[in-house]
Order: sequence, then structure tokens, then C-alpha cells
Amino acid sequence: MALARNIACLVILALTACSSDPAPGPTEQIIVREPGAAPVQPVAVIGDPASALVAEGKAVFANCSACHAVEQDAPNGAGPNLFGIFGKPAAEVSGFSYSDALQASGIIWTTAELDGYIANPTAKVPGTTMVSGAIEDAAKRAAVIAYLESSMAN
Amino acid sequence: MVKLSVNGQSSEVDVDPATPILWVVRENLKLAGTKFGCGIAQCGACTVHLDGKPVRSCSTPVSAAEGKNITTIEGIAAEDGTLHKVQQAWIAAQVPQCGYCQSGQIMTAVALLQKNPQPSDAQIDAAMAGNICRCGMYNRIRQAIKAAAGLPDVRETLA
Amino acid sequence: MSETATASPAKKGKWTRRAFIGAGVVAGSALVVGVAVRPGNPIDRLNPLLASGENEQLLNAWVKVDADNIVTAVIPHVEMGQGVYTALAQMLADEMDADWNKVRILEAPADMQYVSDSIGRDFLFPNLDVPAIFEPTVAGGILELAQAMGLQFTGGSYSVRATGQRAMRTAGAAAREMLVAAAASEWQVPASEISTADSMIVHASSGRSEPFAKFALAAAEQRLPAKPTLKSPENYKIMGQPKARHDIPEKVDGSAVFGIDADVPGMKYAAVKAAPVVGAMVESIDASTAKTMPGVLQILNMGDFVAVVADGYWQAQQALNTIDTRYSKTDGDELDQDALFARYAAYLDEAGDEGGDMETESGDPAKSFAEAVTRVEAEYKVPFLAHATMEPMNCTAWVRDGKCDVWSSHQAPVNARQAAADAAGLAFEDVTYHNAYLGGGFGRRSESDNIIMATRIAKATGYPVKMIWSREEDTTQDHYRPSATSRFRGGLDQQGQAVSWSNIHTHLFDPKDAPTLPYYNIPNHRIRKVDVPTQLRFGPWRSVDHSQHGFFIESFVDEMAHAAGKDGYAFRRELLAGSPRHLKVLDTAAKISGWGTPLPEKHGRGIAFVPSFGSIVAQVAEVDMSGSRPKVKKVYVAADPGFVINPDGFIAQMESAIAYGLTAALYGEISIKDGRVQQSNFHDYPMLRINEMPEVEVALINGDHQRLGGGGEPGLPPIAPAVTNAIFAATGTRIRELPLSKHSFA
Repeated sequence: MALARNIACLVILALTACSSDPAPGPTEQIIVREPGAAPVQPVAVIGDPASALVAEGKAVFANCSACHAVEQDAPNGAGPNLFGIFGKPAAEVSGFSYSDALQASGIIWTTAELDGYIANPTAKVPGTTMVSGAIEDAAKRAAVIAYLESSMAN
Repeated sequence: MVKLSVNGQSSEVDVDPATPILWVVRENLKLAGTKFGCGIAQCGACTVHLDGKPVRSCSTPVSAAEGKNITTIEGIAAEDGTLHKVQQAWIAAQVPQCGYCQSGQIMTAVALLQKNPQPSDAQIDAAMAGNICRCGMYNRIRQAIKAAAGLPDVRETLA
Repeated sequence: MSETATASPAKKGKWTRRAFIGAGVVAGSALVVGVAVRPGNPIDRLNPLLASGENEQLLNAWVKVDADNIVTAVIPHVEMGQGVYTALAQMLADEMDADWNKVRILEAPADMQYVSDSIGRDFLFPNLDVPAIFEPTVAGGILELAQAMGLQFTGGSYSVRATGQRAMRTAGAAAREMLVAAAASEWQVPASEISTADSMIVHASSGRSEPFAKFALAAAEQRLPAKPTLKSPENYKIMGQPKARHDIPEKVDGSAVFGIDADVPGMKYAAVKAAPVVGAMVESIDASTAKTMPGVLQILNMGDFVAVVADGYWQAQQALNTIDTRYSKTDGDELDQDALFARYAAYLDEAGDEGGDMETESGDPAKSFAEAVTRVEAEYKVPFLAHATMEPMNCTAWVRDGKCDVWSSHQAPVNARQAAADAAGLAFEDVTYHNAYLGGGFGRRSESDNIIMATRIAKATGYPVKMIWSREEDTTQDHYRPSATSRFRGGLDQQGQAVSWSNIHTHLFDPKDAPTLPYYNIPNHRIRKVDVPTQLRFGPWRSVDHSQHGFFIESFVDEMAHAAGKDGYAFRRELLAGSPRHLKVLDTAAKISGWGTPLPEKHGRGIAFVPSFGSIVAQVAEVDMSGSRPKVKKVYVAADPGFVINPDGFIAQMESAIAYGLTAALYGEISIKDGRVQQSNFHDYPMLRINEMPEVEVALINGDHQRLGGGGEPGLPPIAPAVTNAIFAATGTRIRELPLSKHSFA
């Protein structure tokens, strides 16, 4: 198997020892806190409250990003790209294979529709393939929706 | 604090309620039999029971488990250590190879037999298709489920 | 099928307890298989590593006997589902006449002792006198060296045929002879009057009978038998039996410990993201959101990747997902898959009829092609493939006070230990490597990139860190089976006999014989390669180069058979005339499959024949093409690995290799766009599931008990061509590019 590059090292090792330069350390190391130290208060987001909400939404969206991209032209994942989703009919992102249920739903994505869907996708659209990722916390839903809206503006 | 009941034991864990059940059982409760495979409910390696129903613990927040009973692979044998009949069938059929997916496979199979004690081949396919086995031991999984259900093994009659 | 598992499960990691034994260590004790030829006697050093109680005695580097008469086989290979613990223990226990129900298994520590023993001695101590039986033919220079040096490397389907045949059997036989000699000395009777069975030593005429344990200490003082006598197959009691695997009980109750399950007090968790284009570096990161997120301890720009360390893994991954990263530009930033295949074509065009690197040649392929009555030409393509082990890559590391501990699951523990030492800037001796079960290996875990990354993170933090790759990271940062293109020209004479075979293909890794077909009698042939930059990193993928060349060769043989107007099975029979052992395998596959009997409409049978890793395998696939996608109904396998040590285990490997190879044939495709891997998780890099698994029927043939072949890989290369040849039989459509999901059969 592909051990060719290790062989020279091993041969030497078997007879003497093999050492090489240590691998590089970090070029940038941000230490937020030490293990065991009390969690610091989240750093206040500077600026207007709306951008604070967007920043929180970006953090919440991290949970969604396993399946969804939000950048323009980014590929679909297990879920469709959500760029520019507001005001569009459901199941219209090109290149994504939707469930029959969502295609038949007749939903136009508004803030309220999205809020209801994210709260419990399978309850709002039985048969949807979005079986995970529900956000029960209303404040977090508001944040993530604000983040999705802001992504269109950029 | 989130209050949980796992394998019949109550506990309180200090985690964000959005944390998936998978990471709470593995890291906070040190029950490492439940495995991380894909993180998006595609492979089934993380399957646990929530009030007896199989769920993908990688994509289910721990908040959804409050007031319910979580059962993991560590909790299906009898209290005296006697293995569940599905586990016994798994050994008899020599199912696992690398073994990494098997906790999830077994949890899905246990839930299937609880709901449907005599599943047909099509019902086994439907229940087990969410669980990937990269070592491809699917024929042995089917054989073991049938053995646990007391059904004849079709494979042998064909051979 | 298998007897109930009564033997104890493998005890892993025991050597780390370093329980020193007192009176048990016997200086100058005789040792077998290479250990004795090393300078100094290593048993003093190994005894505390391997013995776990005061009443255990290490007989040699491979076996110990404790006061309860438990025989423990020390296995210098890792368990990734291939059943190697059990098969190698069977070989040792059988030669030793041990009671199988009292055999336990211990994975060898990552110690140089186990690297240079046995096979390695051929390289380091070429003049050592060993019985001829332990000198199987191994082809390929660099491959042999790699395998020789990395005895502890698990791969190349090598464990049973090399370590088992050379080391474990000899160790068992030598241990038995040393026990007998010790008893003979104590009882004052000739050794020839003493027999052994079920871990007991018996002198029948005097009625004396004692357990091995009684003489273990005295046995260790006996001289090493120069050439221990090995059993012939008619005396095998444990070899050849479908023994239950030792590792299975702990794999059904959740207690089996995999690399990802390492639990180190005080450890924290790291999520990582490496630069998506090979060779790109992280230019800058914006972690303004990440550093406000709960649980986050550190954010590290490591130059080639970004890491977030947090109290929990999920917290680390969530924070990592918020980091905006800029990467440096590389030459590969614009490359996509079509351009890469165009590059392969350009290199092949440039090589033309005479260029490239010659691999093998005989006769006059150009002249025989020009003079052939029928000429056939074809080009085949296969994509990159990821390993997709179910256990994502991971590693736990702790670097402190000039020492380093590393926990992972690796196919070459000694290489992992060296990689950690290099990454930490420490000596090999200052690193302790703890190996656990592998949640799938398939070649992926022969690489040490994960070990290096985790060690670098842990060195930066100073506290223990468990690094886990997301599935997305695992898919996009693999070392891939390369995409490849292969071109053929074949010539047939008046009788439809193959007389000419020319092949030129892109790149060659291992084994070097993969593109060759010496078992087929074709008088004129020439096989060449051209090296082409492939953009993505190469890594050995189950069966390595055989995975593509099995498809290329057996597809083209089928095309030649069709051009000759002959049945694929009959055509191969002609090519194998004069090779009875090969022919028997082919005939057996045809026979059990009912080759030639009628099938329902739109069904087809395809046959393929690929010897690899010392084993000969033929497969017949039965495919239903009545729907919009191929449905593989059943696969018939005939396999001759020389001698099957554990039949049930070998059959399981055939089932597994078929599932792995069929996944690739149906769906497997990693493709590049803008220099990046496009696939990320199981939704776009799909796996075979239970509803798609064909029935598998296996016929085993013991063709040569002195030359064993491998089990983990040889079942894979024939499956893709068996399926595509069946599709041709059913539909007339010849598949020259994988995966099948690219083709429409509506």
C-alpha cells in the first residue's frame, strides 16, 4: 500500500532514530478562556440592535449550515440554498430535489410562514424531507430569520 | 439545566437545550456506545429511542427529550446482563465487522420488532434503510432480525 | 454457522497498565521468530508491556500463558472488522494445541519490536535461516518493502498470509515444543512420548496430565526450537473452522471502544476545517462571532486549517461554522472534473503508441494488432472515490512536559506514533500511542494526517484535546482512490482467440501488478502508464489499483469475447487453459450461478475474474434491468485463497467487499469543481443500503495450503465488471464509465 513515503523514515528508525522538524504551530491563537474558568459574558455586539440580532442569527444558523447554504450561488446541500428565499414560492430553488409535499404546499415564504415552518417543519408540511433542524425557541427563530433576510441585502 | 431520563436513570445536565442528544449522552453522560456518523440524520449510527421510538440523536435537540425516556444501546440488555434477543441474534449471525454502525442498527431493529414482531422483507427494508453499514453486512442484519423474530431464514432455504 | 462465542473478548490497552511482574521474567529465555535475532533480549522489556498480572509468563513475543491456563495471542495487527484478531489467534492456537475456549487476544503495543520481527527480519536480517514454508512469493519491490517494514501495518490483505503464516503459526508451534520440552525434563521422559491437546500436556503411558500453565515458566527457559514442526492440513483442528469472532460480543452492547471514544480526564473538543483546495493556506479568519459563542475556549489558525476548541464538540463545530475564512490562491483553483479528464486524455494522446512508462511487454503487440482479423478498441473512465469510513477521522492528543499521549484508530500504529512525535517535536520514545478499534479502515486509516493535526492542536493548547472531523470534512479532505482513464487495443485471430493486448492508463500506485494479466494466455501484450497530476491526494482504497483495473481489464475482456462471437465464460476459459487452479475458480463460479440457464426478460448475467492479493476470485452477477435503474439481484462468488483459515470470516469479507465495490459501481463519485471536492455527506455521496444489497453465495476452494492469499480486498475488483457485463448481456449497452448513476436506462 501507499507507504512509500514512510518507508525511508522507518528504515532509518529501525536502525537509529528518525526526527524531522516539528510541524508548524498556530499562526493566530485566540484564547477566549482557560478550561475550567467561568464562561465569559458574551461580548456585546457593537452597533444597532438589528445587527446584534443578525449576529445572533448567524450563530443559530450554524446549526442549519450542515444542510443549507445561504451565500449566493453556493451549492445546495442536503437542503436547498436559502439565499433570497423571502417572497418566493416554496420548492423553487433550482437543482434541488424537493419532496412532493413541499411542492404541493402552495407556501410563499414570508417571515411568518418561515417562522411556522422552522418551528416544526413536519407538522406544517407533513411529508417534507426536512426532518431535523426545527428551532423551538421563538427568539432564536426570529434571529435566524433576521440573519437570512440580511444575507439578501449584502 | 436539562433534566433527563436515560436508560431508566435520572440526571441533570448543564447544557444548551439545543445540543443534540448524541453529544449529551456521549460527552456529558459518558455513554459512548451511541455513535456520530454524519450529523444530518442520513446514516443512523446515532439512533436512540425516545419513549421507545427510534430517533436520530445527532439531529434531535436534548430539549425534545425532557419528560421522555431516552434508551441507548447500553440500556437494552436485561438488568442481570442478559443480552436483548436482537443482540443475541446479532452474535449468532456474526453481524458486525468494524462494528461502528451496529449500535444504531440494533436500536432500529429493536424498535422495529417492538412495533412489528413478524416483519416481512419489505418491512425490514423500510425500517432499516436509514441505517448505513459501510462494511455491507446487510444480509446478516436481515438474517439476525428474522432469527430474533423467530422467522425462518430464507437465505438458507435458497442456498 | 458459527459456534457460540465462549472465548473472552479481546482486552485492549492492557499493556498501558505496566504491571511489572517479579519472578516471571527469565533472562535469556528462548524466543521465536525474529525476536531472538534482535540485539539484546527484548522479553524483559516486553514482559511488563504485555503481562498484566503476577502469574503470567510471556513465552515469546506472540503468546503468553497465565496461571489459569489462559493462552493469550498477541496480535500485531489492528481490528477493523476483517476478523484478523480471531483468524491469527486460530493459527497460533492450532499449532500450540491450545484450548480455543481458553484463548484470549491482545493487540500488540505500538512498539518497534513488532515492526521489525518476522517479516521485517527478511529485510534487516536476510541471512536468518527459516523454514522454506515461510517464504511465500510476494510480488512488487516497494510493496514488499512497505509490508516488510510495517509488519504492524494492517492492509494489503496481508495479515493472515504473511504474519499468520510466518509468525503466528511458528510462534504457536515453538511454544508447544518448549512446553513439551519443559515437561519432558521435569517428568524425565522422552519428549516424543508426550502429546498435547486442549492446553494440556499429557504423558499417556504414565497417566500424567498437566495444564500448560504448570510448565509456562520452565518453558520460557527452554531453547528456541530452530525449526518448529508445523501441522499439515489434515491435523488442523482450529484452522479451517468457522470460529466466532472474538470482537463481536463487545460490538453489540456498545462497549467496544473506538478511536473516537477516547476518554481522557480534562479533555476538550476540537472541530476543524482545512483549506478546501489542496495546497491552499488560510490567509485570514474572521472569528468575531465564534469567540462570543458558548463553550468556546480557543480559536486557532493553524496555517493549513482552522480549529475551534470548546467544552463540547457540538459547541466547537457550531462556532467553527460561523468563521469566515480567506484562503490563498493556488494553481488548482480553476480546475474541474471535465478539465481533469481532458488532461488525462492529453497525456495519453501525447504518449501515443510508443510513449509512457513500460510496465510489461511480450511478443510484438503492434504487429499482432495490425495483423489481427478482428480489432477491438475501447476507453474507460472511473472517478475519484472517498473511503467514507463510518467513524469519521478523529484523534485525541495530549502534549505536556516533554511527553505526548495519542489516542486514535490507525492501521499502522507505529507510523501514527512517529507522526505524533514529529508533530510534537519529540522523540519516538516520548510518545505513547493508544490504538482502539477502527470504525472502518479500508486504507483511509493508513494515513496520519489526523494524528498530526490533533497533536499540533494539543501542543498549542497544552491540555488534552479530542479532535473530530465532521462528515463534511471527512468527505472533502480524504486521500482518494484516483480518477483514471485507461485505453485498450485488442486483436483476435481467425478462431476468435485473443492474440494481442495493448493498454495504456493514467498513473499507477499499488500493487504494481494490478494492470497486468499474467494468468491470461495472450501471446503479445504491452502495458504502459503515464503519470498525470491528479489534483487530489491519493490514498490506498480497498483493493487499491485493482479497484479500477479489475473494471478496466474485465470489461475489455468481455468486449473482446463479444467481438469474437463467444460467451464471456467460454472466452475466459480459453484464456486460462493451462492454469488448472485458475480454471477451477472460474468454473465453480459459473457452475453455482447456473451460467447459461434461461433468465427472465431484461435480466442478465455477467462474469468477471480477478486474482489479487494472492487470492483468486471469480464472480457472476445477476442483474435485473426491467426498471429505470440496475437492480443487482444476486452475486455468486468462487474464491481460492489457498487455504481458508476462518470460512465464515472469509465469506463475510466477500459480502463486505461486494457491498463496498457495488456502492462505488452504482453511486461512487467524488468530483472537482473550482479545485474543490463537490460532495460532502451521505446525501450526495450515497452508500448502498439494505434494500439494494444483493444476495451473496460463496463457494470456497482450498487450492494451495502453503501459499495463502488475502481476504479483505480480493472480493472487490470483480464486482463492478461483473455487474456492467451483466448490464451488457441484458441490454446491449456497454458501460465504459463509472458510476452507473451517470447513465440513463429508462
